[in-house]
Amino acid sequence: MILLQVIAGGLLLGAVYALFSAGLTLIWGMMNFINFAHGEFVMLGMYAALLTVTWVGGGPGVFGFAAALALFLLGVLIYFSLIKQVMRGPMLAQILSTFGLALLLRYAAFWIFSPNFVTLPTTVLSGTVDLGGILLTVPQLVAGSVAAGLGLGMHLLLTRTAVGSELLAVAEDRNAAMLMGIRPDRMQALAWGLSAASAGIAGALMAISFPFSPAVGETFALTAFVVVTLGGFGSVPGAMLAGLIVGLIQALSAYWFGPIYKDVVVYGLFVALLWLRPQGLLGKA
Amino acid sequence: MKRWPLFALAAALLAYPWLVAGTDSAAFLQDTGALVLLAAIGASAWNIVGGYAGQISVGHAMFFGAGAYLPLLVYQHWQLPPLVGVPLGVAASLVIAVFIGFPTFRLVGHYFSMATIAVAELLRIVVGNWDFLGAAIGLQGPATARGWYDVIFRSAVPYYYIFLAVLALLILATWRMQQSRLGYYLGAIRAGERAARSLGVPVRRYKLYALMLSAGFTSLAGSLYALKTGFVDPDSGLGILVSVQMIITAALGGAGTLFGPLLGAAILVPLQTATNTWLGGSGSGLTYIVYGGVIVLIARFEPGGLLELWHRLLAARRRRAEVRHAA
Amino acid sequence: MLLSAEKVAKHFGSFQAVAGADLAVEEGEIVGLIGPNGAGKSTFFNCIAGDTPPTSGRILFDGIDVTAAPAETHARLGIGRTFQVPATFEDMTILDNVMVGAFLRHPQRGAARERALEVLELTGLKEQSGQRARSLGTPGRKRLEIARVLATGPRLMLLDEALAGLTPGEIQRAIELVRRIHAQGITLVIVEHIMEVILTLTRRVLVFNQGHVIASGKPQEVVNDPAVIEAYLGRGHARAARS
Repeated sequence: MILLQVIAGGLLLGAVYALFSAGLTLIWGMMNFINFAHGEFVMLGMYAALLTVTWVGGGPGVFGFAAALALFLLGVLIYFSLIKQVMRGPMLAQILSTFGLALLLRYAAFWIFSPNFVTLPTTVLSGTVDLGGILLTVPQLVAGSVAAGLGLGMHLLLTRTAVGSELLAVAEDRNAAMLMGIRPDRMQALAWGLSAASAGIAGALMAISFPFSPAVGETFALTAFVVVTLGGFGSVPGAMLAGLIVGLIQALSAYWFGPIYKDVVVYGLFVALLWLRPQGLLGKA
Repeated sequence: MKRWPLFALAAALLAYPWLVAGTDSAAFLQDTGALVLLAAIGASAWNIVGGYAGQISVGHAMFFGAGAYLPLLVYQHWQLPPLVGVPLGVAASLVIAVFIGFPTFRLVGHYFSMATIAVAELLRIVVGNWDFLGAAIGLQGPATARGWYDVIFRSAVPYYYIFLAVLALLILATWRMQQSRLGYYLGAIRAGERAARSLGVPVRRYKLYALMLSAGFTSLAGSLYALKTGFVDPDSGLGILVSVQMIITAALGGAGTLFGPLLGAAILVPLQTATNTWLGGSGSGLTYIVYGGVIVLIARFEPGGLLELWHRLLAARRRRAEVRHAA
Repeated sequence: MLLSAEKVAKHFGSFQAVAGADLAVEEGEIVGLIGPNGAGKSTFFNCIAGDTPPTSGRILFDGIDVTAAPAETHARLGIGRTFQVPATFEDMTILDNVMVGAFLRHPQRGAARERALEVLELTGLKEQSGQRARSLGTPGRKRLEIARVLATGPRLMLLDEALAGLTPGEIQRAIELVRRIHAQGITLVIVEHIMEVILTLTRRVLVFNQGHVIASGKPQEVVNDPAVIEAYLGRGHARAARS
């Protein structure tokens, strides 16, 4: 029974991983660009949630939306002020730009919020649900199901709407999209906004159940790399599936080997993937 | 190329400990000098793979850590002189380099960057939980020298000259590389892998050579650090900030240039010492905000670093002079 | 037979870019590949150059099977190629660009430099050898690419639209350069849009359309082939040409 509970918990957290990893893979798919600051976006989403709860109050709907909006704007801002220019530069500039940004955001958060761990007030959302003997907390259930819903929503946005097909057209062939009257710049800015928003809302969802500090971003960035690699670069459905798998592996390894090994096993999985199947689970050789 | 700036630089570096010896803060200035050279060694080592080959490692701390841990480990467990651990560190770094480079170098650049940060983080967590390696507390070297072979000095000056010798060797090796087929091939790989391949460059093999060379020298930098401080823990040996320090030092001065890393170190190390002294403990956080900001600015405006900027300004001045001359 | 490609096919997912093409090139020939945009000639070309291995089929160079070999092996065996969009090393000097190629057969720097200077002389780039590649315009870059490949000492050179985007005067100079290269005993396969170039340089052409070779033979005969005219200009023109 405990094992089932661990599995359910892992899958619910995995849905959140899937959500922010889908954001990372979207950027990769559109512009072959890895955002090393993606984990910091998740971290900022957590603090955005905290600030909203402290200043405005309200439930997960309010602070989740606030985190998504704040990060969307940050993503668009970063695209126009930094990414757009370094895209034309050498590989060094591309990698250093977001790597430097990650440091800047992480230590700015240290400076502003102090390095101590904080939590959202427990009054936000609490309680447990008994599903036939499997005990799950309400925050876990809310985070997992909202993340799964949003992930699905993102997939539908990309595959079923006009905006989605314009995004994919830019990803497919920038020049051809331009000839079709699509402005690649706007679409890429939108992708950055959506990607950051997915990280922000995922952060807000995790902030309900976990204590956090400015340093947590690095772990999330690495988790997202593993998920995106496992799912196949650029594939949003792949990232969804891989997110669930990584959440599950993490929960099981924490259960079997002890909590400190949960990240070791996941990073080890990443290295193994690079050796064995760098194109991911769903990718073609 | 004119020879005299090189001789002037060498003379200044050789004379530095002696020049500051008469001042009130001689020990502090000599120590800072040694730290500048150490930072320059680490950054020059990163520069081989990150600058010349254009493969951006963001986890070089793993090689630094291997070099720092092994000398102290052989002392801690078997009371061997730390020097014995230096070649072991290099060997371990070469193994890690092949382990990462072999699978990732057949893929595009981002995989390598991601793999380096993941493996470095993996090692930091494993070492931090492994009692044999000192776990979170770390390892210590001998408190007092049992003989010359323990390489312990009270003054920073002997360290300064040891570091200077290693840096000179590294710069010489890099210069020789630059002038050889290896250097040309790495430049071609950085500029465009597909074109390089079409000209017969075995891209994957040469990237691996660059990484191994870089890893070996980075490990040496880690060993020198451990010999001087006599202490290493997961954060000071394997933390992400160790990698950051190497990257920013090389990129600020000029990635892919011979003297860029030294220039970067000469600017950053005194700056960091100053912020830490003036602002106390809280200064370190501020330092890294500035570091992050500087890295972003370099990437956005001047990926070639300060040396490139300097050359451009010189060229612009020459052009203006020519225009005036013509008019 | 220097190069022989047998039933080479290349698929991207369900899209068939090249559907079983054959090509045999004798030592000393200049062969042209023509066809409308998207006809598969560039993909076929990339298969021969080792850039992308074909999905099926076999490619032999001087009797050695190079079907699945990587691009660097092709270069070492003596197959050199240029790119449709020039891929010069922008921040290196022109001399250094060519030296990268020369290092393939001359591992020592001095010898590589000497070989590079010879090639720069032949290609008429010697004056600019100290400039960075980025300072060149399109014609200069295409010339530099040819120089770089020549420095690798190829037996077969594959030129991918090396003359596209040039002015008539530049085309004349480029044609002279190709003739000089041919005179050195190097076999050439050229992909080209400009008929004039094909007619002056080649004795034999292959015409691609929709992944198939639809015609081959002497250039003058091939350009009058109704199937070729149809592929290039559409049905109506073919009928008009016939009547």
